[in-house]
Amino acid sequence: MDRRAALKKTAMAAGSAALVPSLFSLLQSCQKKPRLSWEPIFLTVNQAELISTLVDTVLPKTETPGALDMKVDLFIDVVFAKLFNKTAQQTMIAQMEQFNTTCEEKFGSIFSELSVQDREEFLKEEESASGKYNGKVWGTAVGEQKPVGFYRTIKSLALWGYFSSEEIGKNVLNYDPIPGEYLGCIPLSDVGKTCSL
Amino acid sequence: MANYNIDAKKNMTYDAIVIGSGISGGWAAKELCEGGLKTLVLERGRIVEHVVDYPTMNKDPWDLELRGALGPEDLKKHAIGARAGFVGANNEHFYANDEENPYTEVKPFLWVRGHQMGGRSLLWGKQCYRWSDLDFEANAKDGHGVDWPLRYKDVESWYTYVEKFAGISGQALGLPQLPDSHFLPPMELNCVEKDIKSRIEKEFPGRVMTIGRAAHLTEPLNGRGQCQFRNRCDRGCPYGAYFSSNAVTLPAANVTGNLTIRPYSIVNSIIYDDKKGKATGVRIIDAETNEYIEFYAKIIFCNASSLSTTQILLNSTSDRFENGLGNDSGELGHNLMDHTYRVGAMGRVEGYEDKYYKGRRPNGIYIPRYVNIDEETKTDKFVRGFGYQGGGGRGNWSAGANQEQFGADFKDSLMKPGPWEFFITGFAECLPYHENKVMLDKENVDKWGQPTLAIDCEFKENEKAINRQIKSDAVEMLEKAGVKDIVGFDNEHEPGYGIHEMGTARMGRDPRTSILNGTNQIHAAKNVFVTDGACMTSSSCVNPSLTYMALTARAANHAISELKKKNL
Repeated sequence: MDRRAALKKTAMAAGSAALVPSLFSLLQSCQKKPRLSWEPIFLTVNQAELISTLVDTVLPKTETPGALDMKVDLFIDVVFAKLFNKTAQQTMIAQMEQFNTTCEEKFGSIFSELSVQDREEFLKEEESASGKYNGKVWGTAVGEQKPVGFYRTIKSLALWGYFSSEEIGKNVLNYDPIPGEYLGCIPLSDVGKTCSL
Repeated sequence: MANYNIDAKKNMTYDAIVIGSGISGGWAAKELCEGGLKTLVLERGRIVEHVVDYPTMNKDPWDLELRGALGPEDLKKHAIGARAGFVGANNEHFYANDEENPYTEVKPFLWVRGHQMGGRSLLWGKQCYRWSDLDFEANAKDGHGVDWPLRYKDVESWYTYVEKFAGISGQALGLPQLPDSHFLPPMELNCVEKDIKSRIEKEFPGRVMTIGRAAHLTEPLNGRGQCQFRNRCDRGCPYGAYFSSNAVTLPAANVTGNLTIRPYSIVNSIIYDDKKGKATGVRIIDAETNEYIEFYAKIIFCNASSLSTTQILLNSTSDRFENGLGNDSGELGHNLMDHTYRVGAMGRVEGYEDKYYKGRRPNGIYIPRYVNIDEETKTDKFVRGFGYQGGGGRGNWSAGANQEQFGADFKDSLMKPGPWEFFITGFAECLPYHENKVMLDKENVDKWGQPTLAIDCEFKENEKAINRQIKSDAVEMLEKAGVKDIVGFDNEHEPGYGIHEMGTARMGRDPRTSILNGTNQIHAAKNVFVTDGACMTSSSCVNPSLTYMALTARAANHAISELKKKNL
């Protein structure tokens, strides 16, 4: 099977399911906000704006680059398109809509249009409401993993996209591709940062 | 690195045929070739040449498409590998295509396969522990299964022999239940592991914690480089620092000039000659052309992996053996075992916030069996025992997903190592039950028209009782070691998760109740040897691969000597 065609097909099918509820807000947002500087392959522009604002709030630019500098929002768009199966894509879209609906009920507008203060206020609530990941042993969760909320999923994807990027991995964190030895107990001050690999 | 002779067409007759090129097949090939036998290794997958065919060995996360994650199509192809939790873009080329190689789970059973030259020796955990007479005498003493036809003294020198060539790092402890190997220097414990070790050993007399004994070189050996602590083993090691057939045994077999390895050779059956009373060769299907081809040899070594070997034997029928080659006892396919897995405890460790480590050690800690090793440690809750693997380390940014924080300070905090964490997970010995079995499923054939396997296996009360103690002891040890936020867990995995399939063509003293004799020969077809996991009569609680190596080297040298005496 042609993988690319198949992916496109699932992405389109999933996209059309969400077309109706998102169209209105999409048109609305077009009128007052600058368009995205990138073209999503899976998300609608409105959804992409939500993801961009979310990852920017979680990992803002400081002395070190922020999530948007590392194009984490583009990465998440690709993850939805290529790593999520159709069911997961549909769930994600429904959750995104729900996230914005809740946001509107509480703060009067969708997430991407809130003030920075209101965004942070809303995310504080989401932090406690969004569930947690179980611990892992050798790559597998221990115990029965209950589904986590939309915010926790996006936060986790944002961390993955950000910290697995070349700039952060090579130039910000401690990059040591061939350690050559194992020293079991060294002062943290010798390296300072966490290892990227 | 010399190229391999893959042109089997030149010659259809050999001194020896080895089916499979994984851990045990590689050893069989090396010993037989070095013993002067012209040897044909039949490999169902492709050639994987050391270093040359390790495409991801130096790739960083950002070099891999989708940062190393697999999409839905790839996950379908690796449905079983993904269930095991280890498959990713970094190593998926060493996992079998599960769609093309179906099997039936009568009860849930995870069967992870590696269909290429080197098999799962490219992917294994590399933990290496000698078995002791506590293991070899277990069946005879408590009456479960049949007695092993050998004891530790019969295997001891072969353990040493394979260890000297494979290279096993570890710490000698002098424990009777876990005999010391011929060791290379041990890897180091980190500060938290050292602390927990001293607390556990003080609080629980009789329990010890040690660095894992592992087939990783901690100093150069025979031209192979030592471990560089990259922890990218399952991509193939460019230094040849861990033991694999590709890096170690097959190159050694190759330099003798006696080796031919034929890729894409799916073994259909072993050819048995009723008149001669022995096997004469092997019938294969070329995986690419679907052509049936026969190769002939004086002796045949079965090293296809436990269940695949048994699948071949079950499919090797003749007038003499209507129910599978060597199956006079009716035990072929029965007594399937694995180890229980993912039951233990984990938690957070305080007090070493200013300490870190250098290197990514591909190894953890080991707590050897301490229950049912003598009268004093006997329990009435279960027979046999368990050991723990585990380790300590500092979390990284991924721990941030659960932290109820976000923003600038949160981001900066993730640049530092996270809290120290420590876990142990038990491996329980599983009893050989006749009803835990594999069967040939002629209704469901694969894309080459071959009958598939149906697997009917489950853990029973003894394994569950061991798991209960594994979990409660793990929590107790971590508590006494001062670990915080302890989570005890038991994932209640189905068998197969341990990827230690053992049994289904067991060794034994009595041809009426076993398939193989004390030198791994089929009782009723002595020129056929089975030296992979299928031969195992019990499962011990320690990892089995080192024992496969020792039994294979022992059987191969027996075969060479018997051939010289014209007994085969």
